[in-house]
Amino acid sequence: MSPHGIATVAQQEFRLRIRAGRWRVLLSIWFAVLVLFTCLLRAALGGFSNEDVADKGIVIYGGLMLFVLGLALLVVPALAAQSVNGDRERGTLATLQVTRLSAADICLGKFAAAWGTALVFLFVTLPLVVYAIAQKGVPVGRVAVVTVVLALLLGTVCAISLALSALLSRTTTSGVLAYLAVFALTVGTLIAFGLTTAITTEPYTSSYQNPCPSASQLPQDLPQAQRDQILAGCGQTQTFQETRSRTDRTWWLLAPNPFVILADAAPQLPPLTAAQKRQRQADEQRGVFRQDARDIDPLGGLGRAVRGLREPPTAIGRSTVGYSQVGPVSGGYSSQLSIALDPPKRRRPVWPYGLAFDVAVAAGALWVTTRRLATPSRNLPKGQRVA
Amino acid sequence: MTSTGAGVVAQGVRRRFGDVEAVRGIDLTAAPGEVTALVGPNGAGKTTLLLVLATLLVPDAGEVRVAGFDPVREPDAVRARMGWSPDVFGLYDNLTAREYLQFFADAYRLGPARAKARAQELLDLARLAEFADRPVHVLSRGQKQRLGLTRALVHEPEVLLLDEPASGLDPRSRVELRDLLRALAAAGTAVIVSSHLLGDLEELADRVVFVDRGATVGEHRLDQLPEATVARPWRLRALDTDALVAALTRNGYDHDVPGPAGVDVRITGDEAAADLLAGLVRDGIRVVSCQPLGGALEAAYLELTQ
Ligand SMILES: Nc1ncnc2c1ncn2[C@@H]1O[C@H](COP(=O)(O)OP(=O)(O)OP(=O)(O)O)[C@@H](O)[C@H]1O
Ligand SMILES: [Mg+2]
Repeated sequence: MSPHGIATVAQQEFRLRIRAGRWRVLLSIWFAVLVLFTCLLRAALGGFSNEDVADKGIVIYGGLMLFVLGLALLVVPALAAQSVNGDRERGTLATLQVTRLSAADICLGKFAAAWGTALVFLFVTLPLVVYAIAQKGVPVGRVAVVTVVLALLLGTVCAISLALSALLSRTTTSGVLAYLAVFALTVGTLIAFGLTTAITTEPYTSSYQNPCPSASQLPQDLPQAQRDQILAGCGQTQTFQETRSRTDRTWWLLAPNPFVILADAAPQLPPLTAAQKRQRQADEQRGVFRQDARDIDPLGGLGRAVRGLREPPTAIGRSTVGYSQVGPVSGGYSSQLSIALDPPKRRRPVWPYGLAFDVAVAAGALWVTTRRLATPSRNLPKGQRVA
Repeated sequence: MTSTGAGVVAQGVRRRFGDVEAVRGIDLTAAPGEVTALVGPNGAGKTTLLLVLATLLVPDAGEVRVAGFDPVREPDAVRARMGWSPDVFGLYDNLTAREYLQFFADAYRLGPARAKARAQELLDLARLAEFADRPVHVLSRGQKQRLGLTRALVHEPEVLLLDEPASGLDPRSRVELRDLLRALAAAGTAVIVSSHLLGDLEELADRVVFVDRGATVGEHRLDQLPEATVARPWRLRALDTDALVAALTRNGYDHDVPGPAGVDVRITGDEAAADLLAGLVRDGIRVVSCQPLGGALEAAYLELTQ
């Protein structure tokens, strides 16, 4: 393996790609679709009743990046899925293998060309990213991390597609399987998570002690009968049958999902500064209400949700009890039990596992490809001639 | 280039694909400075053997040295010294002939300046200079074949393996191919050519290795082909065909119905042919020509491969 060898193959592949495809048309369509999406998203934000959204950039950028990822997952498998077996079919692989290029040179050169092409698609979204940033609120750190993670995810898809093209002799089969692999990563992880979560749902018994309010804590006008009832039940233990799903045991099934990785890897937004808070209060006093983009931040929201799944459900019996007015009709009060699982105390990140897994899969795919390209070969797949 | 190379030595090469034993004991040597022909019927295992020599297939058994190195354990050393042109190959569409050669020059690590010069040399050699900057897919089959052949020469290999290089070439290109290969051999290259064009090989090769059903059945210098032991057709022509036929029938020769080109007689070996001719002359038949049908190589081929 040598940088010169990899560069030789990559340049050649790139040149062939550029000459073979209608890249200008393809990139134009890609860009047009993204512009359309961004415009619609922007318009949708403007239409949030009469509340304006502060820091729209957060929402536009997040939505755009998730959309770019989705669209790229449709494009990228095609970039490498016929790379090796296509060459074999055309009879150009063996002549390459007898040169001084090593199997790793050929593998990495092809990978670099495919990944480079994918990054060109990413690069084309730059004007829209700039637009999103201009809409305020997007931290630079988030842009940097999201870009790197997006590039790594597309590289993973390239590597998997390349390995499939090396493993399978028919280009149509490897093409279909490359899309199936992407489907498995995106929808498959969701299905697996959903189904296993249903299986891990377990019953549990929640018990709690009725609280003992002092007489003064109860509303003044509470009828004496109810007052007596509450005080009589004070200190008694009640049990409830509940179910809870143990997503803390299955969260890792979601981890390899590219969308999950991207959203969770995006750094959380910094809390509002004191000045921003004051500004907001002043606005509200003037009657100007703004929807906070933090509440509808697509990346942060998805990330927080996934992190929440990783934590075990709250310990048994930690429920809270409150009294609330049932309704004005009877004019009375009743005690009402509300059992709520406490929000997780910590939210540990999920993306390092997912990204590590995906990158490991990519490395494995490149290793497999190199193995399959290595000559002299001992075993040939059935019915395949070397040349 | 001086002859320092070790040529090719293969002994007891075996290779099976699933339950097909494609090669089961081929021995072959090709010395530097010589053209060695690899001849055998379809499916004899020639292509498979060349793939083993070209560092693409691991043999199941056997000792192989190409340019002095083991293709399995030291493939890179072999590749630096060996050029291979397969029987069927593809060219990259959308690439010009010059770019094609330059790409392979890069792949053989020639260095940019040398790559450029070498590409031009080879384009001139293959008479493709006028097509140098056109996409390769517009080239004719023979032109593609020539371009593919020159690709194998990019790094001036000391061992050259050519699998049916002459198929699809016009007569002139075949003569040029012959001259090119002779020139390369004269410069010290060990050349192995597999071909079904025995007439061409007769003028090209120094040695011939016959293979049949995966095994070597004969290895000869071309000027020392084995004596014929089986009857082969010879073609006789005389001024008076009827008298010739009568004389042949009288002497009990196995002959065909005379055609416009003459009468074909089945005889065994040069001795018998000389005897026949002497007898006919003695009988007063005025023989114009007497020659074996097909060359000596063809005769030996038909004899060795049943
Ligand atoms: N990859 C393969 N898988 C299965 N069988 C193979 C493979 N390659 C070759 N064979 C078989 O091995 C035998 C030898 O094939 P090979 O291509 O070496 O013959 P050849 O001498 O080059 O013939 P031709 O003169 O027709 O080119 C044939 O019977 C062929 O079917
Ligand atoms: Mg063959």
